[in-house]
Amino acid sequence: MAAIELEGVTKDYGEVLANDDVTFTVERGEIFGYLGPNGAGKTTTIRTLLGFLSPTEGSGRLLGHDITDEDDLIEAKRRLGYLPDDPAFDETATGREILELHASIKGDERSAELLELFDPPLDRTVREYSHGNVRKLGLVTTFMHDPDLVILDEPTSGLDPLMQQRFAEFVRSERDQGMTVFFSSHVLSEVRRLCDRVGIIRDGRLVTVEPVESLLDRSGKVVRLRAAEPIPTEALEIDGVHELETSLDPGEGESERDATTPATAFTECTLTFTGDVNALLDRLREYRLLDLSIEEAPLEDVFMRFYGGERSERKPTPAAKSVPSEASDDV
Amino acid sequence: MFEIARYDGRHRLKGSLYLSIALSLLAVVVIWIYPSFSGSFEDVDEEFLQAYPEGVIQLFDIRTMASLEGFLAFELYIFGWTILLGLYLAYLAAGTIAGDVERGRMDILLSMPISRSRAVGEKFCSLAVPIVIVNVVTPVVVYVGAVMIDEPIPGADVVAVHALSIPYLFACAGIGLVASVAVDRASIAQRLALGVTFGLFMLESLLAGTDYEAIGAIAPMRYFDPNEILLDGTYDLVGAGVLVAMTVVLLVAAQLWFSRTDIE
Repeated sequence: MAAIELEGVTKDYGEVLANDDVTFTVERGEIFGYLGPNGAGKTTTIRTLLGFLSPTEGSGRLLGHDITDEDDLIEAKRRLGYLPDDPAFDETATGREILELHASIKGDERSAELLELFDPPLDRTVREYSHGNVRKLGLVTTFMHDPDLVILDEPTSGLDPLMQQRFAEFVRSERDQGMTVFFSSHVLSEVRRLCDRVGIIRDGRLVTVEPVESLLDRSGKVVRLRAAEPIPTEALEIDGVHELETSLDPGEGESERDATTPATAFTECTLTFTGDVNALLDRLREYRLLDLSIEEAPLEDVFMRFYGGERSERKPTPAAKSVPSEASDDV
Repeated sequence: MFEIARYDGRHRLKGSLYLSIALSLLAVVVIWIYPSFSGSFEDVDEEFLQAYPEGVIQLFDIRTMASLEGFLAFELYIFGWTILLGLYLAYLAAGTIAGDVERGRMDILLSMPISRSRAVGEKFCSLAVPIVIVNVVTPVVVYVGAVMIDEPIPGADVVAVHALSIPYLFACAGIGLVASVAVDRASIAQRLALGVTFGLFMLESLLAGTDYEAIGAIAPMRYFDPNEILLDGTYDLVGAGVLVAMTVVLLVAAQLWFSRTDIE
């Protein structure tokens, strides 16, 4: 039994199709990132999962329970933690009173431990809380009953970097203990740091669901290199080189070889590489490099591809601006 | 069960005490001015009620001011209870669900294993706190006050007028509750509840004695009559039953409505 199953969920508001035939499955024990820009329909999917919205079409199950049947869904909610994107509590109550209410309804197995990690000022009223403190209180109420599944809507917005890091470590260790985590985000670094799999939603439609590594593989690596002496550009005419940008230090170029121009050689370059790293290193072996870095491409680039930004349109054309036209047959 | 009702009820304690103090002060003022008021006229009803336009007499159902009971029935119970408290309870109830939905608090509540109808039911139950407290504190003040100005009122009548106001106030709260699930903005729900409750009061008062009097039967005010209790000593238990039934219908309607709406 999967933690979350959605089958053709559509939410039609007449003017807006907030979710359009959304289908995906989140397996138990994985961290699933639900990625998309603001307004893409992430929150609509989450609210449908929780039974707050009834889908116009489609069906879904949460921990095996039908999301359109309130009584059945309540069974799932005993094992569910939920943190909304803008959590709100009774402002006149203290944090402690809120925790007591939650404990009385769904039980409390680990609030003491959670309060060491996320430490909202329990004796103050929520009215006096900062945004970050409200979120910390929300994290405690989300996890205090040791749920099997947590659904987090933009969980780290409003947390300071230290808390974000603590949160990431915490979520990973919970996953290792068997908890399923579903969270939405528009922050790509967060998704990359945490997720096992990612679903990307755009304009209400699910564009893709895949392991975060395969997204990164497809997006390739960013390679930066700097050489002592000019390297002929044709050295990089191999499969998998995209978006090559080069520059030539003119001083060195002139003194060594008259024929070198920025179009035929370079001393510094950055490129996106989707091929075999060894092939690239073979090509570079004969040159003396001052510096070389190979990093995963920023997820922003991956993201752009699904949003039809400029970059994804340029992707099929392998050569970047400074590469001469002969080099453009390298994909 | 009843965790939300207990929680909300606890948070209503303080406000309910302030409310009781305010209404007790109103009771004290009304009782305190009565001796000088009645002493200023040879025949209060003859001279004083003549001065009021007929419409006002009918609107507030003023029967007599020649006794403390009649004076209290108008100044405190018709005005303070039927109108002010009735409106206040409708207003309070209107803020419950709509306020939680508007602020996003409902999301966290309903992510717990709680049905929507239970959430509505328990939030409604918590309104028992102000309704009961105000009706426990004030009668003591009224009874003692009456004795102190040497115009004692039968204790049973004082208890009865407050006890029978309880189903009335719940019915008003029921109106507010329906407004609270019908609209997801608290301020609009509150205005709606105030408008409907006051409208029903006007409807009932102004249609009394006309051919359309039967329409007033939908108003809770028809079933709670302080004059009858304080002046005649008759307790309309059937009316109380109608108010209880009205409350149940409004509560169930609110629960069904809220169970079927999208929470945006």
